[in-house]
Amino acid sequence: MRGLLLVCCAAVAGVFLWPSGASAHPLGNFSVNQLGALTLAPDRVTVDYVADLAELPTLQSAPSCTAVAPAFRVTVDGRPLSWTIDRSSFAYSPGAAGLRTSRLECSLSAAAVVGSSTVEVTNDFLADRIGWHELTAAASGVHLVDSPLPVASASDGLRSYPDDLLSSPPSVRTATLHVAPGGGTAGPALSSAPPPPSVLPGWAGRAELTLRGWVAQRELTPWVGFLAVLLALTLGAAHAALPGHGKTVMAAYLAGRAGRPRDALAVGATVTLTHTGGVLLLGLLLTSLAGLAGETVLGWLGVTSGALVAAIGLAMLLSRRGAPHGTGSHTHGPHSHSHHEHGHSHDHDHDHGHEHGHEHGGGTERPSRLAVVGMGVAGGLVPSPSALVVLLGAVALGRTWFGVLLVLAYGIGMAATLTAAGLLLIRVRDRWPARLRLSDRLTGLAPTGTAALVLLVGSALAVRSLVTL
Amino acid sequence: MRVRIVLGVVLAATLLLGLGAVLGRPTGGAPAAAPAERPQATNRLAALQERLRAVPGDWTAWAALGEAYLEQARISADPAYYPKAEGALRRSLEVRPDGNADALAGLGALANARHDFAGARTLAERALAVNAWSDTAYGVLADAETQLGHPEAATAAVQRMLDLRPGLASYTRGSYDLEQHGKRTEAVALMRLALSTATAPADVAFCHQHLGSLAWAAGDVATAARHVSLGLAADPGAVGLWQLKAKLDAAAGDLTLALSSLDKVVARTPTVDALLDRARLLQAAGEDPSSSFALARAAHALFTANGGTDDLGAASLALASGDAAGAARLALAEWDRRQFGEVADMVAWTLLAAGEPGAALPFARRANALGQVDATLAYHYGMVAHAAGLKDTALVQLRLALALNPTFSPTDAPIAVRTLAALES
Repeated sequence: MRGLLLVCCAAVAGVFLWPSGASAHPLGNFSVNQLGALTLAPDRVTVDYVADLAELPTLQSAPSCTAVAPAFRVTVDGRPLSWTIDRSSFAYSPGAAGLRTSRLECSLSAAAVVGSSTVEVTNDFLADRIGWHELTAAASGVHLVDSPLPVASASDGLRSYPDDLLSSPPSVRTATLHVAPGGGTAGPALSSAPPPPSVLPGWAGRAELTLRGWVAQRELTPWVGFLAVLLALTLGAAHAALPGHGKTVMAAYLAGRAGRPRDALAVGATVTLTHTGGVLLLGLLLTSLAGLAGETVLGWLGVTSGALVAAIGLAMLLSRRGAPHGTGSHTHGPHSHSHHEHGHSHDHDHDHGHEHGHEHGGGTERPSRLAVVGMGVAGGLVPSPSALVVLLGAVALGRTWFGVLLVLAYGIGMAATLTAAGLLLIRVRDRWPARLRLSDRLTGLAPTGTAALVLLVGSALAVRSLVTL
Repeated sequence: MRVRIVLGVVLAATLLLGLGAVLGRPTGGAPAAAPAERPQATNRLAALQERLRAVPGDWTAWAALGEAYLEQARISADPAYYPKAEGALRRSLEVRPDGNADALAGLGALANARHDFAGARTLAERALAVNAWSDTAYGVLADAETQLGHPEAATAAVQRMLDLRPGLASYTRGSYDLEQHGKRTEAVALMRLALSTATAPADVAFCHQHLGSLAWAAGDVATAARHVSLGLAADPGAVGLWQLKAKLDAAAGDLTLALSSLDKVVARTPTVDALLDRARLLQAAGEDPSSSFALARAAHALFTANGGTDDLGAASLALASGDAAGAARLALAEWDRRQFGEVADMVAWTLLAAGEPGAALPFARRANALGQVDATLAYHYGMVAHAAGLKDTALVQLRLALALNPTFSPTDAPIAVRTLAALES
């Protein structure tokens, strides 16, 4: 590992002779530092190219934009662009030992239809020179999918190089960009090759990174294993608290359908099973099928989850039609509607004999078992990306079982949040039935309203996922 | 009922967390440990950077990061990593000022890289006072002692390093030490051993470069060419191999190819050494070398402006510009600092050019005292002896030079042939 650390100085005499002096170029007197800042628009590609040459390269040659243009190659779907040089400037500034450094700036542009395409960038200009090699990409009017390049330069356009002990000078000379129509520049998303930044905000994000660090540790201890499970539970709970799991709908359904705590628990169990199974399956797919983009699958799962909720809403709505108005009326939590309805799947949903003491009597329907399971599936179908990352990380380190356990803990954490939301609502409903009792007329309309709301929320979830695809 | 539920929840939680503890028990970590064994230098760099962002107080990681930056500087020939290496090593010493052998040895390696050999020796000794079993510190000490002209101390340090940790780093140093003592066969054998343990492309290229140089010094052009090809196949960016290839091309008479090889070196690392090589080659090809000379002068001026001292480089620059007396003065100044064979050779050669063969003779003897086998060394000794009137020595040395490698230099080899013919007649 220590390699040949500086063996035989005679052999490299003169190469390593540069003490850090006050006026020296920050990246060494040999360096040719380059930045290519791409901007992609629907009908054209522009590049703001900058080269910052240290003292010796400045003395060796004076580069020009006419030399840069053919070496800075960009292809759109395999077709090379030919650049027009819109502007060029070259200037010297004083450097060390009475010598000069120089700076070349070129504005290149080319007409191209980049609406939906693959753009490949290769900077071959003075490729054998050492130095800082940076590429950036921004888009206006089009959308970059999972751009591997940053939007802004880390060196302020080669004007101030970060003096950070914990980062190496970048050496980015090639990049492949996937362009989609619409939108602006998209930041890098999940499942790109380097470890993705946390998807959770604030403390949860930090907790997620901590968990990933623990999983990646060379030596696990029982204490760390214990804490990791605890953290996974918390993160799962936090994930379920994010929007998009149909909590509102589920709560409304349970509350409205005279759901009992055991229904809430059933939803919780289904969530855990679906989520654990889903993450494991997705993990298996992602590791065995190359070229499968994680975020696409997540997007489609979101669509499925939304569609499922919408289907339940639709079923409720259909079962409403022609059903006689009942007598019971129900209350609701902060954002659900009361309802009462008849007629849907009677045969497999009467579950007599185990009822709770504080339930409503007379004529109300128990939630359909199928619908409860459907709610659970919808809640657990969208996997927590961080659970997926943790699983893949654990598998990569040969700790498959530990990873599976953590994913299970995520599922249980999610189930805890969703079940808690359901139980809370049932509680609220049972506590204040009288105060929130509505007029009979409204009560009669309410079931239709709830069904419509469930349908609406489900469709909205599905559409939202579809848009991000 | 409620009690049962609570009990159930508690039981499930205990089971789950307990399972976590069981699965998280210390494992052999077999698949986890394997990739950490010998990663690519850049992976290792990234891992250490990541680690230190999370744990800024890890002094061993800071020292390892400094070493990794030095390694990166060597592989990429990019001096921009030196300030980073120094920063990381100093941070390690800040966090733990006492008993930090790793950081001291790292700073010693950095001093060697900057040709502050006396400073490197002091740092290596301080590191060894903390940890007498530090193989890295012995490596630093060996390099410093070699360059300072203390061959016995250098050999002892290399031997200690080989005993402590037989491996790539100690084999290559051992080989270089043997080469200095003229034990060419053993040097080649040890470097082959080093090659067999090298895995990273840069390390493989490094071993081929030295095997090629050893073959070239003895005139085995075919073997040298083979090693150059193999080395460049492993790492096409290895500057030292291109420099050696230029020598081989020139020996084969193809000066255009030699120049294009050297251009690759000069484009990447325009050092005084490489630029002077290029100027000499241009002269031999009958072209104008002034631009190369100007660049070499600028490179040297930059080095001095940045606070460095390299009188050896300055001497070869002065000699190439025709200022023989100035070159001899500079070479003698370097000799006062360190009595290394390479410096003695430079003193002898510049004194001869300055018209003082009598003064040059002891230095030529000193340069060959350890018995190193090298055509250029023998040629220098022979020419000094010839000018000083020692006909027998001159005959032996010039014959040796031409026997070792009849094409050791496009400019000097013909002179050797002519002088030898004049002596023999």
